[in-house]
Amino acid sequence: MAIEIKSKLTFPGGVHPPEYKEITENCAIEVMPSPKQVSVLLGQHIGAICKPTVAKRDKVQAGQIVGDSDAFVSAPVHTPVTGTVKDISLQSHPVLGRALAILIETDPENDSGKSPSPDRFDKDYDIQQYSSEQICEITRKAGIIGMGGAGFPTRVKIEPNPRLPKDLLIINGCECEPFITCDYRLMVEWTWQVLTGIRLAAKAARIERIKIGIEDNKPDAIEAMRQSVNESGQADKIEVVVVRTKYPQGGERQLIRSLLRKHVPSGGIPPMIGVCVLNIATCAALAEAVVCGAPLTHRVVTVTGNAIDRPGNYYVPIGTTIADLIDFCGGLTERAAKVVLGGPMMGFAIADLSRPITKTCGALTFLSQEMITKAKYDRRVTPCIRCGRCLTVCPENLNPTKIAHAVKKNRLDLAEQYYMSACIECGCCSFICPANIELTGYIKTGKILQARAKKKIPE
Amino acid sequence: MLSKITVSPAPHISKAYSTRSIMLDVIIALTPAVAASVIYFRYRAAIIIATCVLVCLLTEWLCNTIRKKPNSLDDCSAILTGLILALSLPPAIPIWAASIGSIFAIAIGKMVFGGLGSNIFNPAMAGRLFLTASFGALMTTWTVPATVDPGMSAISATGTEAVTQATPLAWSKEAIKGKAQAHVANQQLTASFLGNTGGCLGETSTIALLLGGIYLLIKRTITFHIPAAVLLSAFVCASIGFLLKSEAYVSPLLHLTSGGMLICAFFIATDPVTAPLSQKGMWIFGAGVGVVTMLIRMVGEYPEGIMFAVFLMNAVTPLIDRFCKLKPAGGVPHG
Ligand code: SF4
Ligand code: SF4
Repeated sequence: MAIEIKSKLTFPGGVHPPEYKEITENCAIEVMPSPKQVSVLLGQHIGAICKPTVAKRDKVQAGQIVGDSDAFVSAPVHTPVTGTVKDISLQSHPVLGRALAILIETDPENDSGKSPSPDRFDKDYDIQQYSSEQICEITRKAGIIGMGGAGFPTRVKIEPNPRLPKDLLIINGCECEPFITCDYRLMVEWTWQVLTGIRLAAKAARIERIKIGIEDNKPDAIEAMRQSVNESGQADKIEVVVVRTKYPQGGERQLIRSLLRKHVPSGGIPPMIGVCVLNIATCAALAEAVVCGAPLTHRVVTVTGNAIDRPGNYYVPIGTTIADLIDFCGGLTERAAKVVLGGPMMGFAIADLSRPITKTCGALTFLSQEMITKAKYDRRVTPCIRCGRCLTVCPENLNPTKIAHAVKKNRLDLAEQYYMSACIECGCCSFICPANIELTGYIKTGKILQARAKKKIPE
Repeated sequence: MLSKITVSPAPHISKAYSTRSIMLDVIIALTPAVAASVIYFRYRAAIIIATCVLVCLLTEWLCNTIRKKPNSLDDCSAILTGLILALSLPPAIPIWAASIGSIFAIAIGKMVFGGLGSNIFNPAMAGRLFLTASFGALMTTWTVPATVDPGMSAISATGTEAVTQATPLAWSKEAIKGKAQAHVANQQLTASFLGNTGGCLGETSTIALLLGGIYLLIKRTITFHIPAAVLLSAFVCASIGFLLKSEAYVSPLLHLTSGGMLICAFFIATDPVTAPLSQKGMWIFGAGVGVVTMLIRMVGEYPEGIMFAVFLMNAVTPLIDRFCKLKPAGGVPHG
């Protein structure tokens, strides 16, 4: 066991949900073979949705681009398997509601599956052979996007922008969501690959200063990253900073606040204060893309919770349906009551198991009836007792109860007076509310209504 | 298996407590005070407490039934209102008066506003004030009239004669008027700390109330802001008076330990529904309660005053909330 580390670096607000990381934190990354068919969504990122570049009945090779877009803020998607395009149709999508997806049937004869190659990286790996432009170009072609959740195209993030100059690269290794351990495993197992990715990203962005933020509940990861930084002689550029374990420490705004004591403007983005934030999985994918020429077709997904037979961290083809992944993990147990795409604080509860895994999906959490009963499921909602807890825990210092009540009464103007748009939807307020009010749910609804209302108004 | 799978907005886990468990915590925290009142005032206290709690529950049930609203008894807030009201009544109060106070507290103090969470005033304080306004004499009869209630003779018989005195703060009032010496009242400090003195059922025993308050703070059912603000501001005000004119004003410690100051600081002013939402607001609110109480005690007519102070500050809570509007951590968003 590594040394006990405690850190005081943190942000105001936040909550301490139970961690449940022990379920999967010691499960080494395991490769999942290609399923019989995959369904690759064309809109997995923020920005323009891709158009299909293949047609029905086309033969495709693993790693081939199947959807692309000319827009600047976009990223192509690739097929993870070799096989035949069976269909291109609308599929349910966690954020957009519906989006086109390409259904590809795997050809078992020619598909060899993909294995990760973390061994190709070590401390002597020379990143100088690539120019900044080359790295940006490869990042785009490989379809790399922020894999922590938002899914912003990485190329747009790292490319130097004269209007918003960046001088600090922050690598987000917090993984503050309960249950999830995929980034932790990457840091421990694929340390060199992650570090190479970080250095490549810094090179592409022409940034000299790098801080890697890791929560103090992951001493092994801190140790591994520190050691590799020292061995590669980068200690003058890269600093591994330990931050306090608290949710949502891994929210980029919160991590920046913890590390720099500065706040990103509400509704703004980190480059506004000269910072670029990348997540661990993104860096690993970036290294693989640049060094091995492999596009983003697979990712590590933590399959966890107390209602799945074989929880673990799996290297999964992007486009695998949840049902296939469940089968691979030994199936659901009797107690399964909720399937959550992502972690329990911010993830989407889904009912449709034919949904595919996307690039941004770091975890699948299967919650049992007991666990939900202990939480929200059938506890009674009472009126707000104005206890003020939601205000205290809100990391963005908002007034969740007022916003939620304004939305409830359909008073979007009032909700905006309480700065609804500054909410990062972290879920702390709902987590803490003794009256069991779905504050975050109301606020999300309010934001969607607001967006719709704005679109309707002619310019 | 799919049929069993449910969907709902994130987050999918939450802290393991509820409105009910918070109310229960406060009720648990009040048990030392309840015990103390029963020790000092015997079955008289038990009867008053039981009456208030039962009448409160009944009233809430009736109101819900009449207005065809879902039953809300299981949030335990009515029990709490009954307890707090009972503890703030004088031991000699007739049962009928206690019942009227309870009915008023729940029906007018809470249900008329729309039930738990919507009331502006602390229901127990509404009931208490109503009783003071309607039956003033009953509410200030601290001496125990054995003639009115034969049961009360039992108290004197057990040797706790102290209960038949005027309350320490009544002494203090006399002192301000120059009719008595402040140091006489100060001598009651120890008695007041133990609760062996005249006063309302629950406000007498400082130790019992402190125990409960500490329990609430440890369990984080309440935050320290309001109690600290109330006690600090009251202490400062009382100290100023004491230092300026110690023969007329009683010791600040006596002010803090008597006249319901503690039950108010820990249990009444901290009632979440009627206190401000933000921590800054809580400071202002608590300080307001402390200062107004001391003003009433030292300048005004009533020796206790704290109920009025809470009531007044409840009324300005919406204002405080508006004044303490939070700014987003990242500044006000543009556009
Ligand atoms: S209001 Fe938004 S940012 Fe604040 S705690 Fe709730 S979900 Fe998080
Ligand atoms: S946490 Fe819940 S009960 Fe407390 S103020 Fe916020 S919304 Fe109201």
